[in-house]
Amino acid sequence: MEFVIIGGDAAGMSAASRAKRKNPKIKVSVLEQTSDVSYSA
Amino acid sequence: MIVRQAHVFREKQGIDLKTEHCVEAIDPAAKIVEGRTHEGKKFQMPYDKLLLATGSSAIVPGLPGFDLPGVMPLKTLEHGRRIKHFIRDQHVKKTVIIGMGYIALEMCEALHARNIAVEMIKPRPNFLPWMNEKLAGMIQKEIEAHAITLHLGREVKQIEKSKEGLRVICPNLELEAQMVLVAMGVTPNSQLAEEAGLELGPNKAIAVDRGLLTSSPDIYAAGDCADAFHVVTGQRTWIPLALRANRAGWAAADNVTGKETTLEGVAGTAVFKVLGLEVSRTGLSMTEAEKYGFNPMEIMIESRTRAHRHPGSSFIGVQMVGDRKSGRLIGAQMVGKEGAAHRINAVAVALHAGMSVEAFSQMDLSYAPPFGPTWDPLLTAANQLLKSM
Repeated sequence: MEFVIIGGDAAGMSAASRAKRKNPKIKVSVLEQTSDVSYSA
Repeated sequence: MIVRQAHVFREKQGIDLKTEHCVEAIDPAAKIVEGRTHEGKKFQMPYDKLLLATGSSAIVPGLPGFDLPGVMPLKTLEHGRRIKHFIRDQHVKKTVIIGMGYIALEMCEALHARNIAVEMIKPRPNFLPWMNEKLAGMIQKEIEAHAITLHLGREVKQIEKSKEGLRVICPNLELEAQMVLVAMGVTPNSQLAEEAGLELGPNKAIAVDRGLLTSSPDIYAAGDCADAFHVVTGQRTWIPLALRANRAGWAAADNVTGKETTLEGVAGTAVFKVLGLEVSRTGLSMTEAEKYGFNPMEIMIESRTRAHRHPGSSFIGVQMVGDRKSGRLIGAQMVGKEGAAHRINAVAVALHAGMSVEAFSQMDLSYAPPFGPTWDPLLTAANQLLKSM
């Protein structure tokens, strides 16, 4: 299964990490428009 | 504050993280997203399940001068870097902040701590309009006691270059500064979703159900770009905050990986610190309660953060709102030098549980002299509110 996430901040990276942890077989891709991910403002 | 670096996601967690990839369109029928990289290379990606976590953007009005160097919003990490570098390179000693919400107030504190003079300006006449007037007045006094000027009811019409750097122009008022921060709130990044035909909710946030599913069967949305159900009103709302974003990301992932998950919603619990004060709120303000058809009653009490004679004891103000029709507790706000931030969580739990003011007034809350009076300020507020309802 291909799980695609648009956006690599709080919600996007939480989802990506969780999906991969729950089922390592799923292909998880994150498309982030900036160079920064997972920050807290 | 960077929580985790990109390479950790890629190498340790096996996530295919593509930075500098801007999605330009979603085709829900073909289940494909397409866009462009920073170098201008086009890309396409098919999906089985899609999550929109596009966040929110700072509102910057399209007025003259808002694109001048030195006029900057604060939302992303990159904005933070730009502001920091600008302060250093231009030896900034004087700033104007447009807006007086919590981001603006946090910025005001950060600049004040660097010995930078701050003036704040906003178009509407009330300072923190969602807040009980007396509590808002305490915060206003605290800010003004630090030599920060608040210009209320002043609408910025344009910004010009000047000798000193920048001139912020309003009718009958001009302010000079080297740097202008734009903190006028945020708006959800829901354009991709809207163009793909997805339903939008309040403030044009992407409408999602309790399982974070949008109106399109294989597309989820989470974080600042999506709406949520309010636990007090049961209605859709848009209150973009970090805990909800993280939690909604988890829940969407659970649903995608086959563990059915639903979220109860948000209570609008929020805290911030401004100079020497903690400020907190949860649930509905009076105005919101009226808007949603409650018959609200509000009280404001003054109590102490520690037992009467305990050294360091200081003032704490508590506002509490109940619904006269149902007896239900529907909101609270607090301001104090200490003990206001985490104390609000008790009320947040009560809101989730749908407790009445009377039931809340019976709660066995903690007491020891360094942490509060025998009757916790929240209990004093609940007792007072109960009497007046």
